[in-house]
Amino acid sequence: MSVAAYGRLKSKKRRTRTMNILTFAVVVVFALIAFFPIWWIFRTSLMTNAEIYRYPPSLIPDKWLFSNYEKTLEIFKFWKYLWNTMVIITPSCLAGTFTATLCGYAFARLRFRGKSLLWALCVGSMLLPAMVTLIPLYIGWTRGLGFNDSYWPLILPYFCGGGAFNIFLIRQFIVSIPRELDQAGTIDGAGYFRILFSIIMPAIRPAMIVVALFIFIGLWNDLLQQMIYINSSDKYTIALGLTNFRGQLKSDWPLTMAATCLSFAPGVIFYLIGQKYFVEGITLTGLKN
Amino acid sequence: METVTKLQKRRPRKPSRIHASEARTAYICLIPAFLGLIFLTYLPLAGVLGISLTNWTGLKSPEFIGLDNYIKLFTTDPYIKDSILATLYFAGLSVAGSMVYSLFIAMLLNRKIPARSFFRAVFYVPYVLPATAIYVGWSWLYEGNFGFFNYLLSELGLNKILFIADSSYVVPSLSLISVWLAGNLIVIFLAGLQNVPVVYHEAAEMDGANGWKRFLHITLPCMTPIIFYNLLMSLIANLQIVTPALALTNGGPGNSSRFLTYLMYDQAFVNYKLGYACATTLIIFAILAVFTTVLFKTSGRWIFNEGGDDK
Repeated sequence: MSVAAYGRLKSKKRRTRTMNILTFAVVVVFALIAFFPIWWIFRTSLMTNAEIYRYPPSLIPDKWLFSNYEKTLEIFKFWKYLWNTMVIITPSCLAGTFTATLCGYAFARLRFRGKSLLWALCVGSMLLPAMVTLIPLYIGWTRGLGFNDSYWPLILPYFCGGGAFNIFLIRQFIVSIPRELDQAGTIDGAGYFRILFSIIMPAIRPAMIVVALFIFIGLWNDLLQQMIYINSSDKYTIALGLTNFRGQLKSDWPLTMAATCLSFAPGVIFYLIGQKYFVEGITLTGLKN
Repeated sequence: METVTKLQKRRPRKPSRIHASEARTAYICLIPAFLGLIFLTYLPLAGVLGISLTNWTGLKSPEFIGLDNYIKLFTTDPYIKDSILATLYFAGLSVAGSMVYSLFIAMLLNRKIPARSFFRAVFYVPYVLPATAIYVGWSWLYEGNFGFFNYLLSELGLNKILFIADSSYVVPSLSLISVWLAGNLIVIFLAGLQNVPVVYHEAAEMDGANGWKRFLHITLPCMTPIIFYNLLMSLIANLQIVTPALALTNGGPGNSSRFLTYLMYDQAFVNYKLGYACATTLIIFAILAVFTTVLFKTSGRWIFNEGGDDK
């Protein structure tokens, strides 16, 4: 290698090094900006009312007033709301994941009459926005089946395949598993359900966890449906409780922010547990389309 | 050759025995999906159409009134025009903003930087937090006197803004939250970027293409399928926006954040005009359908198909 070429390589190396440091600096700046709102909410939740109105505002509370949380919990029945939310979410996640797996398996592996039509109807319903069917479903659940002020209208839909999107996700995942795996089962004389339970399900566990996570987030965020189906305050979910709490305490920002932070907590914990699968699953939905 | 034809001839007979139990299993597995498609999707869809042609209030039995609801919506309804404009304004800003933001952040995170999964978590976490809490939390940042953004403005020597309490700022303010929530788009973009063949970049670098040119001529074309997917998802989500109106603004101030889904909620569950609300629903559906169709129809022109290996 000539000296000149060596020099060029070295300068190029140095250039990429500077580029990398620069990128890192930009990432750090943006991460700080992205994280800032959460910090601001959290720091407010630990301040006195006088402190939050001070000018200039401080980034860190003078004294960390964890007593704000005690006060908040007296009015904002967080544990009750969390329990109520879990009462809705747990059966929905389990049933939705299980039925989506059954359906995904049928579409991925089994041959039957009417398959392509059913698949087309399924994929077609993915493009149907959820709110289009809101009013007829509301009438059906409350008038038709008498579910007033009840969690069932929020839970039962997940016993029906957990939504076309989740069926689609599971099916894509099963298709990517080599068929030889279940053929080995067939030779051993295992039936279709045996193959599903003892060969397919263990292999697609990441996808099943992802579906459960999606159902979790979907229910977590669905303020509209919770609002129309749940009336009495002792059945409130976190989302409903927080909306209501904000209405009651419009000007007490520290307590409102404490309630907000409490509502954040399960999501953060949940993300830390499922982090690996989350990213994997989202990747999957993006690419196998 | 002969054996092949023999095999092919024999083939349909042997699986046909398997077929019976195979199909039976399939139908059992599909009972949930079948119920869901009938009772939760297609029957309600027909229901929306049917109810929209009546004057049902939920109290008296419905009367068929033809297209009256639609005529009323387009001629005398005081909200529908503002509502459509607010929805399109919000969706336009949010989709454009979150696409640019998430692609930019994904490209940053795609480089070799330390603690990548930590940074990915920072950008992604807003997405897993309950939306209601996000909006309530941000309403404090947007507060008219002591909110953080007003502190920034006063430091810059500018006048205070009421943000979500000001009809001309409420939609951009809510859109900013939407952009911030776009963590899921970042993850999808990131996955797409990792699939862009490195050899392309190396070849282009050899030819002396700079970073911007490589972005324009390699990264962007390779990413078009992912961009399409994200665009579609973000458009569908943002056109149906309702949570901030329910949790914070109640459609106000004035009608400035009376998004279509909120309008429908208000008609159906506050004023009990079920027939009328169903007509509104179908307008939202039509708007969504127009956008999705345009996106799909034009996709052939701008989506780059690498080596034509689309399955």
